[in-house]
Amino acid sequence: MSSKESCRSELRIAIRQLSDRCLYSSYKWAAEQLIGIEQDPSKFTPSNTRFQRGSSSIRRKYRTHDITATPISGVSYVATPVMEEDELVDGDFYLLAKSYFDCREYKRAAHVLRDQIGRKSLFLRFYALYLAGEKRKEEEMIELDGPLGKSDAVNQELVSLERELSTLRKNGTVDPFCLYLYGLILKQKGNETLARTVLVESVNSYPWNWNAWTELQSLCTTVDILNSLNLSSHWMKDFFLASVYQELRMHNESLSKYEYLLGTFGFSNYIQAQIAKAQYSLREFDQVEAIFEELLRTDPYRVEDMDMYSNVLYAKECFSALSHLAHRVFMTDKYRPESCCIIGNYYSLKGQHEKAVVYFRRALKLNRNYLSAWTLMGHEFVEMKSTPAAVDAYRRAVAVDPRDYRAWYGLGQAYEMMGMPFYALHYFKEAVFLQAKDSRLWIAMAQCYETDQLRMLDEAIKCYKRAANCNDNEAIALNQLAKLHSELGRPDEAAFYYKKDLERMESEERDGPNMVEALSYLAKYYKSTKKFEEAEVYCTRLLDYGGPEREKAKSLLRGMRSTKSSFPPSDGDHFPP
Amino acid sequence: MAGMLKQSGAFTITPHKVSLCILFKIYAPPGQFSVPFPFVSVAQHNRLGLFLLALTKSCDGILEPKLDELIHQLRMISQDWEASWLIDQLISRLSCLLSPEDLFNFFTDIRGILAGPETSLEDDQVILDPNSNLGIFLRRCILSFNLLPFEGVCHLLTNIGIYCKEEFSSCPPYEETGLDDSSNNLETYSEYENMDLENFFYEKVSEEIEARKEASERVPFHLHTPNALLSLVDDIDVPADSASKQSDKVRVAGPYEDPQSSMVHDSDPSGAVFLRTNWQIQGYLQEQADNIEKNSNAISLNGFENILQQLQKLAPELHRVHFLSYLNSLSHSDYFAALEYLHCYFDYSAGKEGFDFVPAAGGNSAGRYEIASLCLGMMHFHFGHPKLALEVLTEAVRVSQQHSNDTCLAYTLAAISNLLFENGISSTAGILGSSYSPFNSMGISLSVQQQLFVLLRGSLKRAENLKLKRLLASNHLAMAKFELTHVQRPLLSFGPKSSMKLTTCPVSVSKELRSSSQLISDFSSESSAMTIDGAFSTTWLRDLQKPTGSLIFCQDSGSGNSSNVPQFCAQPTSIPGSVLQVLGSSYILRATAWELYGSTPMARINALVHATCFADASSSSDAALAYIKLIQHLAVFKGYKEAFSALKIAEEKFLSVSKSQILLLKLQLLHEHALHGWELCRGRLKLAQKLCDELGVLASPVTGVDMEIKTEASLRHARTLLAAKQFREAASVAHSLFCMCYKYNLQVENASVLLLLAEIHKKSGNAVLGIPYALASLSFCISFNLDLLKASATLTLAELWLSLGPSHATRALNLVHGAFPIILGHGGLELRSRAYIVEAKCYLSDTNFNVFEDYNLVIDSLRQASEELRLLEFHELAAEAFYLMAMVYDKLGKLEEREEAATSFQQHISALNNPQDHDDPLVSIY
Repeated sequence: MSSKESCRSELRIAIRQLSDRCLYSSYKWAAEQLIGIEQDPSKFTPSNTRFQRGSSSIRRKYRTHDITATPISGVSYVATPVMEEDELVDGDFYLLAKSYFDCREYKRAAHVLRDQIGRKSLFLRFYALYLAGEKRKEEEMIELDGPLGKSDAVNQELVSLERELSTLRKNGTVDPFCLYLYGLILKQKGNETLARTVLVESVNSYPWNWNAWTELQSLCTTVDILNSLNLSSHWMKDFFLASVYQELRMHNESLSKYEYLLGTFGFSNYIQAQIAKAQYSLREFDQVEAIFEELLRTDPYRVEDMDMYSNVLYAKECFSALSHLAHRVFMTDKYRPESCCIIGNYYSLKGQHEKAVVYFRRALKLNRNYLSAWTLMGHEFVEMKSTPAAVDAYRRAVAVDPRDYRAWYGLGQAYEMMGMPFYALHYFKEAVFLQAKDSRLWIAMAQCYETDQLRMLDEAIKCYKRAANCNDNEAIALNQLAKLHSELGRPDEAAFYYKKDLERMESEERDGPNMVEALSYLAKYYKSTKKFEEAEVYCTRLLDYGGPEREKAKSLLRGMRSTKSSFPPSDGDHFPP
Repeated sequence: MAGMLKQSGAFTITPHKVSLCILFKIYAPPGQFSVPFPFVSVAQHNRLGLFLLALTKSCDGILEPKLDELIHQLRMISQDWEASWLIDQLISRLSCLLSPEDLFNFFTDIRGILAGPETSLEDDQVILDPNSNLGIFLRRCILSFNLLPFEGVCHLLTNIGIYCKEEFSSCPPYEETGLDDSSNNLETYSEYENMDLENFFYEKVSEEIEARKEASERVPFHLHTPNALLSLVDDIDVPADSASKQSDKVRVAGPYEDPQSSMVHDSDPSGAVFLRTNWQIQGYLQEQADNIEKNSNAISLNGFENILQQLQKLAPELHRVHFLSYLNSLSHSDYFAALEYLHCYFDYSAGKEGFDFVPAAGGNSAGRYEIASLCLGMMHFHFGHPKLALEVLTEAVRVSQQHSNDTCLAYTLAAISNLLFENGISSTAGILGSSYSPFNSMGISLSVQQQLFVLLRGSLKRAENLKLKRLLASNHLAMAKFELTHVQRPLLSFGPKSSMKLTTCPVSVSKELRSSSQLISDFSSESSAMTIDGAFSTTWLRDLQKPTGSLIFCQDSGSGNSSNVPQFCAQPTSIPGSVLQVLGSSYILRATAWELYGSTPMARINALVHATCFADASSSSDAALAYIKLIQHLAVFKGYKEAFSALKIAEEKFLSVSKSQILLLKLQLLHEHALHGWELCRGRLKLAQKLCDELGVLASPVTGVDMEIKTEASLRHARTLLAAKQFREAASVAHSLFCMCYKYNLQVENASVLLLLAEIHKKSGNAVLGIPYALASLSFCISFNLDLLKASATLTLAELWLSLGPSHATRALNLVHGAFPIILGHGGLELRSRAYIVEAKCYLSDTNFNVFEDYNLVIDSLRQASEELRLLEFHELAAEAFYLMAMVYDKLGKLEEREEAATSFQQHISALNNPQDHDDPLVSIY
C-alpha cells in the first residue's frame, strides 16, 4: 500500500477536482476517507485525538482475524499521476454556471456553458444537462402515472448526451469524468457491456471518483464479470473490491479487504459502517451493535446505514434504544427513506403494524427501489394476516433485486400460511439457492415438507440435515431430525441425533424439555438394545427432572435391575425424592 | 372479464386518438346533410365510418399506429383525390394544434358532433348517436381530455408535435453517428410503412439469429473483433443507438446493422409510443393466447417475448402479460421460464385478473391462489411430471375447498381426472385419498379407475350446478372417453356375492356425447363478442394491406357494393372458438367410438366432419388426429399406396406441429406394410422389428409413459415374431402383454391380445390350444360391444375349427356366414379377403360339397379375395387364393384358367421372395 501521506495528498487534490465538477457524493466520500486516514502521532491536533481514540477502541475490541497490513498479493501499485488542471484560472462563465448548478438550476447552468470548451466547463455542462433530464424525468414519472402503473418516463437528454460523448470518446478528447458520465448514460440505456468498458476506462485513468466505482459495481452482478474486468491496481480498487464482494455475498472476503484497508484508513466511518454491514449479513449482531454505537458517538447526525442498525435493535428487541434512534433520525431528517424505515421498524416492534406500514409506504414513496422497505412491509402484512398484500410486497422486492433471499423466504411463508405448502416450496427453493448456508431457511423448508398436507418426511430430513450442517443457532434441526427418525421407525439414527443434540445442549449449557426428551429416548433406546450401563446413566440423569419422566425413569431403572439378576435388587429410596 | 372491466379508467388521450377525433369530425360534420362534402356516395361515407369503427376496435397489436400508418390506411379506403383531401385535412388540423388553448377549443368543438339528448332526427342530418360505438369512443376521448391536469395537456401537445414531425420528416435511415444533435431520436420511428408490427418482430428475430450465426461462424477469421461480437451475443437487448454505434465494427454481421431492424429494441425514447386502449390490449392478449393454444409453433418465442416485454415496460401493472409470457414459454417447452412467469403472475395478480370464469364475488379480498395451484398442476402435467402435478392439484383441491371456490374445484377435479386418464399412474393411494375422496372415510380403498370415475362425476356435478357450460361439455366428453375404454363394474361391491360382470355401455357413451354437443345451442344465445368483434376489425384492417382487395374496391366503390363490406358485416357465428373446439373433439371421439365398436364407415364420416367443419377452430393436434383416422381408413380400405400418398400430404400440413402423432401413424403403416408383404424375407422382418422398436421408444417419451402406445408396440412386437414363425417367443410376449393389460385394467385391449394368442396357436398348428383363447376373446368382445373385433375373432375360431379336420367344416362355415354381415359391411380389405378364403376353404374341405356343381361359389369368393389382396399387396394370402383357384380349375379340368391362376400364384410367390422388383413405398418414405 502506498504511504498514508501519499494517499492523503492524492485525496486532497481529488477533493478539489471533484468539487469543481460538482460530483457531490464522490466529493463527500473522498473527504470522509481523507479524515479517516490515521494521523501521525507527531501531528495530533486535539480534536483529532478525541475523534480517533474512540474508533480504535472498537478495533481493539473486535479485531478477530488480524490479517491487516499484509497485501493480499504482492501487487505493486501504479502510481497514478494526479491529473493536471487545464484551467489554472477558472473562467467567469464557469464560475457563474457553478453557482447556478449549486442552486440546482441545471438548465440555466448548461445554457451559460454552451460555448465553453474547457474540460471542466464541458463536463459541467454535460452533467448539468444530465441532471436536468433526471429531474424532469422524476417529475414526469408522477405526471404520467397512468392507470396501469408507471408510464414510460425517460431522461430526455440521454440521447443527445450519448451522441456527444461518444463523439468525444472517438476523437480521444474525453476526460475520465466525461467517461464516467458516458458510462452512466450507457447503463441507463441498457447497454451494459459498453458501459462497463467505459467505466473501467474512467476509473483506470482517474481512480478517485467513487461514483464511477459504484456504478461499475452495480454492473458487476456475478463473480465472472468481476474477474473479467481489467482494472489497474490502485488503493481505490481495494475499496471497490471490498464493496463488490459484499454485494456478491462473499462476506468473509469483503471483511478481510476492509480489515486490510483499515491499516491506512484506520478511522474511516465508511469502512466501519461497511464492516458492520458484512457482520450483519453474517448475523453477528453484537458486533454490529457495538460498531454502530461507536459510529453514532463520533457522528451523531448520521442517517446512512442506520436502517441496518435499527434492524439489529429490532432483532434484539431493544425497545428504548430503537425508539431513541428513531427519535434521533426523525429530528435529523425525517424525509429520508432510512428514517421512515427506522420508524416503521419501531412501530413493528411495538406490534402496531398498521402504523408501521404507513411509514414503510412513505419510505417507498421516497425511493421506490428501496429493497428492505418492500420486504419489511411484506413482513408487516404477514403479521396483519393480509396475505395477498404481503405476497405483492414481497414480489415487488424480488422484482427490485431477484437475489434478495428474505423476500423469497417471505413469499414462501405467505403461501404456507395460506395452506399451500407445496406451492410455497418453490419459493423456499429459491431462497436456499441464494443463501445455502442459512440454517433458518433450511428449517423453514423442512417444516414445509413436514406439514400435515405434504408429509414428505424424507425430504424434510434432508433439509434438516443441511440445516444442522449450517451452524443452526436455534438448535431446532438436531431435535427434529431425531424426532423424524424415530417417527419413521429408525431408532439407530434417532438415537444418534438425540445424542448429538444432547452433547450440544450440554456444551451450550441449555436445559429444557428437549433435554428431557432426549434423555428419556436414549434411556429407552439403550435399554431396548441391551446396553444397560448407558441406559442407567441416562435414567439417573433423568431423575434430576420432575414430572412423569422421572417416574418413568424410576420404573425403567427398576426393570433393568430386576433383569440383571447379578445385581442386588434395590429400590430408588436412597435417591432424593 | 372481471379484470378488464375494473380498469375502464385506462383510457388516455393520445395523438392517435386526437386524429381519430378529427376524422370523426370529417365523418360527421355538424350541421350538414346526408352526404357531407368530400364524399360522393353514401357507400363511401359509410366506408369511412366502418374504417373508424375498425380502428377503435381492432386488436392486432399493442401500440397505436403512427400517423404515416394511419395515412397509409386512409389511402387504402378511399379514392385518390378524396384520400388526399382527407389526409390534408387531417395533417393541417393536427398541425394547427399549437398551444393548450387550441386543444381546449378543439375538444369543445368536437362536442358539437354528438347529438344532444333533445335533438330530434331531422331529415338526413349526419349526427353521431352518443350511445353508438363511435359516440361512446368520442365521449371517452372528451372525458379523458377534461380530466387531464395542465401537465397532461402539455404532454399531449408535445406528443402531437412529435407525432406529426415523424410524418413530415420521412427521414433517411439512421446514420451511425448522426451529427445532427439533440431530440432526433424521433427519427428512429420513421418508416413503419406497410409493416405489421408482428411480422416486423419475427423478421427481426430471424435476422438476428442469422446475424449471430454468421457472426459466430466468422469469428475465427476476424479475430480482431471478438469483443464487439461477444457483446452482441451477450446482450441480445442492445438498444438501437449502441447497436448502430457498434455496427462499424461488425460489418461482418451483415443484416444486423440494418438500423430498421434494431430500432424496435429502443422501445422507450421520448414517450412517442402509445399503448392502445386497455380493452384492445386485452383483446390482443386474448387472441395471442388463443393462437398459442391453437398453433404454438407459429409464434416465435423471442418475437412474442419482445412484444410482451415492451408491453410490460409500458404498463407494469398489467399483470396478464406475465401470464402470456408463461403461455409462451410453456408452448416452447421452456420449463424454468414457465415456472418463473407462472409464479410471478399469481404473486402479482392474486389470481384475480383475467380468468373469465371467476365470478365477481363481492369484495372478497382473500385472493384466489387456488387457481395458481391449478395452473401449476397443469403445467407440471404438460411437462410430464405427473407425480408433482398430482401433488399440486391435490393442494388446489384442498385450498379451493377451504376458500369454497367451487368453480376452481370443478376445474381442478377435471384436471386431475384428465391427468389420471392420460398417465398410467398405478396408485394414487395417500395422495388423493386423504383429502378428497368421500369414500376414504368409509375405509374403502379405491382403484385408480374408480377414483377417476368418482372425480369425473364430482366435477360434472359441480359444473352442472355452477352452469359452467364449457367445463360441462368437456366433462361429458371425458366421461364418454372413460366409458368408452374403461370397463364398468359395480363401483362399490359389498360382500363376495355381488356380481362382477364386466361390461361397456355404448348407450351411455353416446348419451354423454350428445349432452356435450347440446352446448352449442346454449351458446348461440350468449354473447361473448369481445374478441370476435376485435378480431373482425383486425382482419378488416389487415385486408386493407392487401393491395388486390383494395384495388378492386376502389374501382367499384361507386356502385356501393364492395366485396369487403359484406364480409365485414356478416358475423359468421357468435360461438367462441373454445366451444367449437370442444364440439370438434366430440366428433373425433365419436369417430373413435365407432372405430372401436366396429363401424368403420361411421368412423370415417365423423373424422371427415371434423376435418372439414372444425379445421379452423380445433387445435392442431385434434386436426392431425382426424387426418390420421382418415389415413388409417384409407390404408384399410384402399391399400397402402393411397395411404402413403395421403400421409405425405398430412406430413406437410402438420409439419412439426404434432410430429409424434404423425410419426406414430407412419410407423404403424410401415409396420403393417412390412408384415404383409414379406413374411419370408429376413431383411424385411428385421425392418419390421426395427419399426416396432421405434414405436416402443415413442411410447416412453420424457413426458411419461403412454400406456396405449406401449400396448400397441408390444402387440406389434408379438405379431412380428409371429410372422417370423417364432411362435414360442411370440406367445410369451403376448402373455406378458396380457398380464400388463390386466394390471392396468386395459380390458378392451385384452380382447385383441387374446385374439392374437389364438392366432399364434393357430399358426403354430396347435388348434386345440387356440380355441379357448378365441372363445375368451369372443366373450370379451361380446361384453364390450366390440363388433368388428368379434367378427374377426369368429373368423379365427372358424379357421381353428377347420384345421381340426374336415368333419368340423360345416360348423366353421356356419361361423363364417354368421360373421359375414359385419365383415362385409364394416371390415377392411384384409379381413374381407380372409373371410372369403376361409369360406372357400370350408366349402372345399366339406365332404358334402360338390365342386362340379357349385364351383362358382368358391371361385367367386376367391376372385374377390385376390382382387382385394392385390390392392393391399398382401402377397402371402393372395398366393393362397390363387393356389386354391388353380386347384379348383384343375379339378374342373379348365386348363386355361388353371394356367392363368397358377401364373398369378407364381408371380405372388416370386414377389414374396424378391421384394426389390416393384416400386417400394418403404424406399421412398423411410
